[in-house]
Amino acid sequence: MEKIGEGLSCSTKTEVTGELVYIKTIQDVIDLFDTASGKICIVDDAGITTLSPILSELAGTVCTTGSAGSHLAIVSREFGLPCIMGIKLFTNDITFLTGKKAKIVHDGYDKGLLYLLD
Amino acid sequence: MSYVELFSKTTPNKSLLGGKGSNLIKLFNLGIKTPLGFIVNTNSYTKFLKESHLKDELDLLLKKTYAPNEVLELSNKINDFFIDSEVPKVITEEIKRVFSQHNEQFGERVSFAVRSSANIEDSKDFSFAGQAESYLCNKTFNEIILSMKKCWASLFSPQALLYFLQMRRSGKKVNLKDLKMAVIVQKMVNPQVSGVLFTSNVINNDLNQMLINSTWGLGETITNNTVIPDLIILKKEKFEVLKIELGDKQKMLIPNPEGSFTLLVETDPESKRICSLNDHQLLQLHKIGSILEKMFEYPQDIEWAIENDEIYILQSRPITTLKN
Repeated sequence: MEKIGEGLSCSTKTEVTGELVYIKTIQDVIDLFDTASGKICIVDDAGITTLSPILSELAGTVCTTGSAGSHLAIVSREFGLPCIMGIKLFTNDITFLTGKKAKIVHDGYDKGLLYLLD
Repeated sequence: MSYVELFSKTTPNKSLLGGKGSNLIKLFNLGIKTPLGFIVNTNSYTKFLKESHLKDELDLLLKKTYAPNEVLELSNKINDFFIDSEVPKVITEEIKRVFSQHNEQFGERVSFAVRSSANIEDSKDFSFAGQAESYLCNKTFNEIILSMKKCWASLFSPQALLYFLQMRRSGKKVNLKDLKMAVIVQKMVNPQVSGVLFTSNVINNDLNQMLINSTWGLGETITNNTVIPDLIILKKEKFEVLKIELGDKQKMLIPNPEGSFTLLVETDPESKRICSLNDHQLLQLHKIGSILEKMFEYPQDIEWAIENDEIYILQSRPITTLKN
């Protein structure tokens, strides 16, 4: 298990695993619409609110910017999904994360940690 | 029938003013400092749909089921209908009249935020969170009318259409007749600092703490995740700063100095390194948070902006996610 990022945990402390999907545009959400179940979506500063239609299906959300007051954090809390905001990733290539199995872990204080499995 | 409501002459009413508009009037009537303005009510939306025959078009378009990959095209089509259709004269004339009054009161350099306020916002079985559109710094009457149309059309954004599709699949009916949009037109604040104040700590559900996110310029960069803002935790019972975690605040959103709308600019290096709020401002926010929580008898999620040391409250709603 390899740690690939750390940010502010903004929702439930529940530990979840799921397949990572990098979401950049509304088209990515459309493409994921029928297969969103159990995925962990990772987004950067573009098109964040577009996740809303599939949130109820997801396992977790991760964002490279934002904080507890951002919309994604607010709606993630409403759906009881673990959510890491302002994550610092130990990779410069987010796209490479799509399809990888990952785990969101709470550090017991206020940080959310993202691990790659296998 | 009236189509436009002045803040000073209306009462909270979700079906007429939408969720956000109704909340705003509650604040205004309680004497909380909020920028002045008016609300184009849901009667306007209904009349526009009827007279432009958009209603028939929408019924036709949305009656059929659609596939997820059709929503972009469908949404574009609907958006074009809204933009190309004429707003009934009784509505534009009423808007023009209050718009001129506000211009006279505030001077010609004033600009306005135009915000969508749907009647279904915050309702339990129709969480429309995140769909709300805002268009900032509109200066002219024509800009306000165009932004208003865009707000109306946002009821049928690609996200919204996906949302309807998902609701249908889970057996809930979406009835076009039940969807209405009011539009808030509110004097812009030109803030040095803006942010969100939760009167309980939403991260660890601690009711004895307040949590603040703040950044330079307009606060949309926080809600839209454009920046990592500063994070401040306060003790609720008696003012005390428990924690300050600086965000990088890479960019800031400012009113376009050369005209309408906004610009996203790079934050200067010095401002990135310091906290966007000083002790005095934190104390003031703590005070307002305590007052609003007491008034509404529940922990609040408050949007605020500070212009020249005056704190304006832009929105206050209950925090929906606190665990007991």
